[in-house]
Amino acid sequence: MPLTDNAGAVSRADMEREEILLGNGAIALGLVESGCQVLASYPGTPSSEILPEFIRLAKSNGHAPYTEWSTNEKVALDTAFAASITGKRAACCMKQVGLNVAADSLMSAAYMGTIGGLVIIACDDPGPHSSQTEQDTRIMARLAKVPVLDPSNPQQAREMVELAFIVSEEFRIPVILRPAIRVCHGRQNIAFGPIKGKERKASFAKDPSRWAATPRFRLVLHGELNEKLDRIAMKFEDLEPYNSHNLTPGTGYRLGIVAGGVPCSVVHDILKEENRSDIPLLRLGAPYPFPRALAGDFMQACEKVLVIEETDTFIEYLLRDSNKVLGRLSKHVPSQGELTPQVVHEIINHLLGDLNIKQFKTFEDPKAVDLVRSLDLPVRKPTLCPGCPHRAAFFAIRKTNPKAIFTSDIGCYTLGLNLGAVDTCLDMGAAITMASGFFHSFAQDGVTQPIVATLGDSTFYHSGATGLLNAVYNQARFILVILDNLTTAMTGMQPTPALGIRADGSRGGAISLERIVKGCGVEYIEVVDPYDIQTTTNSLKKATDYVNDPDGGIAVLITRHPCVIAYKEEAITKETKVRVTDDCVECNFCLDRFECPALFYDKDVGHININRQICRNCGVCIQVCPKKAIVEA
Amino acid sequence: MPQLRGLHSGLSQKSYCGGLKSLMETINIILCGLGGQGILYMTKVLAQTALRNGWNIMGAETHGMAQRGGSVVSHLRIGEVESSLVRNGSAHFLLSLDLIEAYRNLPFLAPRSKIYVNAAPSLFPQTLVKKYLIKREIRFHSFDAYRIADELGAPMSSNLSLLGFSSAFEKGPFSHESLISTIEKISPDRFKKSNLDVFNAGFEWGRKENLQGAR
Repeated sequence: MPLTDNAGAVSRADMEREEILLGNGAIALGLVESGCQVLASYPGTPSSEILPEFIRLAKSNGHAPYTEWSTNEKVALDTAFAASITGKRAACCMKQVGLNVAADSLMSAAYMGTIGGLVIIACDDPGPHSSQTEQDTRIMARLAKVPVLDPSNPQQAREMVELAFIVSEEFRIPVILRPAIRVCHGRQNIAFGPIKGKERKASFAKDPSRWAATPRFRLVLHGELNEKLDRIAMKFEDLEPYNSHNLTPGTGYRLGIVAGGVPCSVVHDILKEENRSDIPLLRLGAPYPFPRALAGDFMQACEKVLVIEETDTFIEYLLRDSNKVLGRLSKHVPSQGELTPQVVHEIINHLLGDLNIKQFKTFEDPKAVDLVRSLDLPVRKPTLCPGCPHRAAFFAIRKTNPKAIFTSDIGCYTLGLNLGAVDTCLDMGAAITMASGFFHSFAQDGVTQPIVATLGDSTFYHSGATGLLNAVYNQARFILVILDNLTTAMTGMQPTPALGIRADGSRGGAISLERIVKGCGVEYIEVVDPYDIQTTTNSLKKATDYVNDPDGGIAVLITRHPCVIAYKEEAITKETKVRVTDDCVECNFCLDRFECPALFYDKDVGHININRQICRNCGVCIQVCPKKAIVEA
Repeated sequence: MPQLRGLHSGLSQKSYCGGLKSLMETINIILCGLGGQGILYMTKVLAQTALRNGWNIMGAETHGMAQRGGSVVSHLRIGEVESSLVRNGSAHFLLSLDLIEAYRNLPFLAPRSKIYVNAAPSLFPQTLVKKYLIKREIRFHSFDAYRIADELGAPMSSNLSLLGFSSAFEKGPFSHESLISTIEKISPDRFKKSNLDVFNAGFEWGRKENLQGAR
């Protein structure tokens, strides 16, 4: 069975227990220490490792919490919410765009409130490194009217988990923890502490005016929520060290910096390295509800205030003084992209120059950057792995349907765009819903537009079925290829509901893709092994005929082959070592259409060759070469 | 100097003082290459060695989409810091498992820092880069870490071979012995011998080059 690699950390048994943890591991440790009894999650970078680490650390402490990989983020939030109102400490974790899926629950849960602490961990991705947006979860917290904590490194994230539970229980409100990617995928040595939370027994006190509130009661709940926020704001005024500044009383400053989250640690380290005690720092690790008096003191002491925050204008708006406050709105800070140390260093240094204040001692040597630019290095774009079954499927799809619109989805297979077999990628499940939309938009004009939708198995379980039901109901016509590699590959090989293996390794109910597809009303379902390109091609042709037949409909092809990373043994049962013969005419067909990273143009031999360092010996490329120049070695 | 928390340091104190004066309190290391080359494992060996020597560490890794065959950079900072990323111009050491990625990450290097690259010495550094490195007094060493690992039947272990190579130089980030004891501790039993063999083979190459005099 596929497993994530969590065996990494080594403890120092000879001293107090200390491990080098991933930020997500530090968050998991915080959850264990706080006595979190229920944790539900859907994997998504950068949040994916929290749940497996929680299971590992809880087990090593002799705990048996309830954990699950939920089918999607909304399911995860609902699950944790229910546990919370039975009095237990519960949490859910997801990536930032996952909170969009769970937003329906979040908005309502804020009104209803909690009993046991409820912590919603939504991990942001400034960059973005592995996401479709750079959205700022603090704004989602403001929209839902719930408190948000914004840690600046793994250790702080671990501490803030406990703080989040305390605030949640004191004020009966869900609390969002939003670690950004540099927290989640940071690493830090963390000393273990005592377990503070106590296990509780579930109980549920019926109270329909709260737990099933109608609009009339919702107004009452909204009033309660506003009153809670006022009280929490008071608490956040006095929340050292997370909300604090280093002003010397009675001193005036030319420039002060306000920062939260990861940029807070970056600014701190830069000011320390530059030895600049003349620039005070206001840390806002708990920026909402906004500690107005604390910020007011800081504003008063400084002539100008620069706001460094990721990724939007959250604190900057809350400071509300456009004459004094500098940041994104005044164009001093870029409005997109990660605020890396060099970016932050440049922003501050530039502003110091503008304000005629002494600039930093060190600055980046522009010669290095110019030199690297002059080398004209190849851009390395992400690609599907050598041996990836998706590559074979995409090759066959492109070959049989060259004129189709290729709608696709979120996962490894977005990289099918390198093979010219992915045209769109909107959100989870949109391969199917956009295929419907394309179909109807063209059909309205009387145009028969071929459409092939591709999405992965895990994405189908997440949000494929609703769209497929809709497509069948509304008579759309397209081919849907479910790329089934028997795992959630991109995020680190979490199991899917098809396998009947649960997050903690225990047995679960296994639900096959075929059964769901059939249940959605699809009549045409075929399963093929994409490594066999000829058979896959034939199946795609038959599927095309069915889609075009007046009595036909939506055709679903499941291309099933184990992921080469998750299933090292099973994926390639018989290794086929290949070589390229002199029949190669350098037509580059294999590079353009198959795009396996193990194929490259070899100057030394004067034609395409195989990079043995990375070739997985799947042998699929033998079927691809039009000149039959790739043969078994 | 970073604050020692007990035990003796496996790090030569002279070794990183060549960086910018203002950065003397922290050791910044960049490890780079391509997804799948074992950069995270190499980072782990260094981080565990630092921890065993009583130092605090802070690091940043690449996961997710970027791992699929793309450029991977791992940041490791040793000392009393709050943030995890190394700023351009402030890395004391750069270890690259790929020639192109070594070039791409040059801006991280501080003056008088050290760079170790998995590439035949005839390939690295190219003329312009060499001029730049010499001008900034950056020490550079390269060797075919992949070939050494492959010859020992462990083609996926270029990472350990390069790490062994770098440990042969007095100015490497950690002592040879302290790295060996970490590898012994964290390798699964079935890979322990192979890992140590590759690491030691890399070390031997480095030792020979060191004896011939660094460029």
